[in-house]
Amino acid sequence: MGISRRVFVKSGGLALFSLGLDPLFLERAAFASYRPLPSTTALYRPVLVCLFQRGAVDGLNMVVPHGDPIYYRERPRIAVPEKDVVDLDGYFGLHPQLAALKPLWDNKSLAVVHAIGSPDSSRSHFDAQDYMESGTPGLKATPDGWLNRYCQHDREHEDTPFRAVAFGPQLPRILAGSAPSLAIDDLQAFGLRAPRQDGRDRLTRAFEELYAGSATGLLSASSAEAFEAVQLLKQVNPEQYQPGNGADYPRGRFGRAMMQIAQLIKANAGLQVAFTDVTGWDTHVNQGSSEGQLAARLAEFGHTLAAFAQDLGEKMRDVVVLTMSEFGRTVRENGNSGTDHGHATAMLVLGGPVNGGRVLGKWPGLDPAQRFEGRDVAVTTDFRDLFGEILARHLGATDLSAIFPAVTPDPARFPGAVRA
Amino acid sequence: MKDRVLRYLLGVSGAACVVGAQHAAPLHVARGAPSQFVARASAPAADAERALTSARTPRDSALHALNRLAYGPRPGDIDRVAALGVMKWIDRQLKPDKIDDGLLAARERRFTILDYDRGQLARLYVEVQRERRERKRDAGAAMDSTLREQRGRRMAGDFQELAVVRAALSERQLYEVMVDFWTNHFNVFFGKGADRFLMPDYVEHTIRPRALGKFEDLLIATAKSPAMMFYLDNWQSVAPGASPQSPLSASRRGGQGVRPPMPRGINENYARELLELHTLGVDGGYTQEDVINVARIFTGWSIEPPRQGGDFQFHDWAHDTGEKQVLGVTFPAGHGMDEGVRLLKMLANNPATMHHVSRKLCQRFVNDEPPDGCVDDAVAAWRRSRGDVREVLHAIFHGPDFWAPQNARAKVKTPLEFVVSALRAVRADPDTTPRLAQVVARLGEPLYLHVAPDGYPEREDAWVNSGALLDRMNAGVALAAGTLPGVTVSLDSLIPATGDAEQLILQVNDKILGGTMTDNTKQVIRRQTSDISDLLAARALAVGLAIGGPEFQRQ
Repeated sequence: MGISRRVFVKSGGLALFSLGLDPLFLERAAFASYRPLPSTTALYRPVLVCLFQRGAVDGLNMVVPHGDPIYYRERPRIAVPEKDVVDLDGYFGLHPQLAALKPLWDNKSLAVVHAIGSPDSSRSHFDAQDYMESGTPGLKATPDGWLNRYCQHDREHEDTPFRAVAFGPQLPRILAGSAPSLAIDDLQAFGLRAPRQDGRDRLTRAFEELYAGSATGLLSASSAEAFEAVQLLKQVNPEQYQPGNGADYPRGRFGRAMMQIAQLIKANAGLQVAFTDVTGWDTHVNQGSSEGQLAARLAEFGHTLAAFAQDLGEKMRDVVVLTMSEFGRTVRENGNSGTDHGHATAMLVLGGPVNGGRVLGKWPGLDPAQRFEGRDVAVTTDFRDLFGEILARHLGATDLSAIFPAVTPDPARFPGAVRA
Repeated sequence: MKDRVLRYLLGVSGAACVVGAQHAAPLHVARGAPSQFVARASAPAADAERALTSARTPRDSALHALNRLAYGPRPGDIDRVAALGVMKWIDRQLKPDKIDDGLLAARERRFTILDYDRGQLARLYVEVQRERRERKRDAGAAMDSTLREQRGRRMAGDFQELAVVRAALSERQLYEVMVDFWTNHFNVFFGKGADRFLMPDYVEHTIRPRALGKFEDLLIATAKSPAMMFYLDNWQSVAPGASPQSPLSASRRGGQGVRPPMPRGINENYARELLELHTLGVDGGYTQEDVINVARIFTGWSIEPPRQGGDFQFHDWAHDTGEKQVLGVTFPAGHGMDEGVRLLKMLANNPATMHHVSRKLCQRFVNDEPPDGCVDDAVAAWRRSRGDVREVLHAIFHGPDFWAPQNARAKVKTPLEFVVSALRAVRADPDTTPRLAQVVARLGEPLYLHVAPDGYPEREDAWVNSGALLDRMNAGVALAAGTLPGVTVSLDSLIPATGDAEQLILQVNDKILGGTMTDNTKQVIRRQTSDISDLLAARALAVGLAIGGPEFQRQ
């Protein structure tokens, strides 16, 4: 099991414990007070899934500006040939290994925000990831992450054990902070461990009695919540999960994480924000074009996203998937048929509430004079404007200044990724 | 139980406030009045000890001291400390040089990471980086890591494990606690570029030799440490417009390693964290102007390239030699590295620093929300001793707040404290594999891997959450069952297997929980073991429930 550091200051959630473990009740308690947003159903349960492409994905080969001759001039060995690009709007197109996402573009549930990134010029993976997760570019001492700050400030959504979950061995920076959040490596291993089910039940009961009778303060509240989560998960029954609609997730950690996120969403376990990350984007050497290193990563990425959408089916109407990466890569290929650390990149926004079928953001152009420091795609959309838009329009966040304190995202600058 | 509460309450009203080894006014006066009004008359130390700890039995006092100054008691420790006298034990812990630690020294020799100096680690790092580049060039990203790379990774794991082993086995417990404290106060992230090879040197040669010395010396040492200079980017901070005589080799890429793009000016990161976290504190009365001027003072504090060993290096050419003002003090033009040292000494002895760091120490040793009186005592000792950490700690341990009943068991153990105290409670023998460090990581505290410069927090809300609690329970059960990887446990010599449930509960309460087991826990263990005929299984369950249960999470 890999659960860690769920940092937590408990307030409204306590009431759940005394009322038993009826999942229907939990569903109601978790969402009844939520301000309904435009939706086809009365009970709108918005979910945000954030995916971090760690290592700085090459936005130019992920969403290719195939209409720009400079792109081909600067990348003689690694450009995606025009004939392979999955055209989107005549100017931009998807990498061929992302073809699985084309139907989502066509049904208007996939949008691309291009030339997006951080106002900070750091080309250090470490610093740039840190800033994108803290939501405060240039400020290292920010103790918490922006997803956690959202959870701290949105008190309308009552806390459930699975409100904010990161899939991975450690709680990432983006979810660190005082609001409840959970890191889960594997849903199947969540809870007390024993070789047999009766042993597990016995340990669970014993510890539940110990903590119910002797724990005080935060230990008491957190343990009660832990056992509630274990019970809830037992009903979800992760061992028996079959993806819906014949969805077939690629093997590997990323596919598994996305499948477990889908599982929690479908179980109505109260999941509101989920996070996971996927590595392998730091393509300094032999990046490849239509095939090769980056293509292989994109294939896994695209097929996983497509499987996730297929698995969720109708439920996707409540879900927004947001991809992010710390920065983009140089416009010009380097001497090793790769690309070096750059500035702006592209992010994908996927889901029912998405204003899809469009490449959003102001395209700065690839001419050297239009580039950042003469070498990188310039940032025309501050990532906080996109993140802020999704929090406000999808999750109903009312106070963005508390979540992004330095520069409050202004609706006038929202790229328009979510239907208003 | 009721009696004990009563005794505590009676004890408080009769207790005296003792600062250092001096007698002072009654507690309620000290609480309500600023500390300068507290009368200080001398009294023999024995009186002081009686007055301070009168609210507790000697065993209670010993348990409290072992929970806070140490990583919890080993079997027999409570009696030993109680017999010696808790204050005497504390004073011994304050002089770690006089405590024999031969067992740990022998164990440390098994950790080969300690055989490598920084230069050797730097060369290994450079080699691994080169191999990785070549590997990518030859075959894309999909190849297995090289032997050298695996060795590097293993050594990083060994180094984390070493922290767990030292905490568990050292007789110099307070010293190890302080090493952990300062490692967090002066946090460096092990995973950032060159810090992957600089970290061991930082802990061994910057933090450990100064953990119980003068704060000023430690502060200056961290400022001159390549690990800190790299972590907070100061190594690339140069006076605007300055450039070296022979230009650095042009950057091939702006990666994490020491392959700089040409430095373009001052970098404020270190300056800001120095003021906010290391010294004055966030409300310490400095301005953004001060941050910029501090950054100017530290321009040129840098490191040599890894292939040359990665040592600290001052670059004259990069230093801003203009005049600066910091906190209203003028640093005249024309100075070099000396003005940085002058600034560090000034900051180390600033009242805001005394208060900020003293408060953190009180948070560590007394309460997540430390009482003002305790902080005041620590600050007074700081001022008297010019920042002698030993004196500051002495003041805290001899103050009434440290012993106040409401502060006993008021803190929740951090993951490191939980794991190490569990190892100690069952006298477990850790091996040199990184597996126990991995348990600590799973509970939320991967050692040396806190990304942000504020270090791991001292507050319980950072650690207590449903997922981590379940993992603590699992770790407790596994340790008791002998299935926790990386450690050997033999309960036989500690708690004899017995069919007598009351005897079992008595033993577990005494040996594992230091007598703090609640009636509820006794009942649960009684009930849960009643139908288990296998005596070993019943014992393992009882011990596992005790370690994973609520009493053991507190200190």
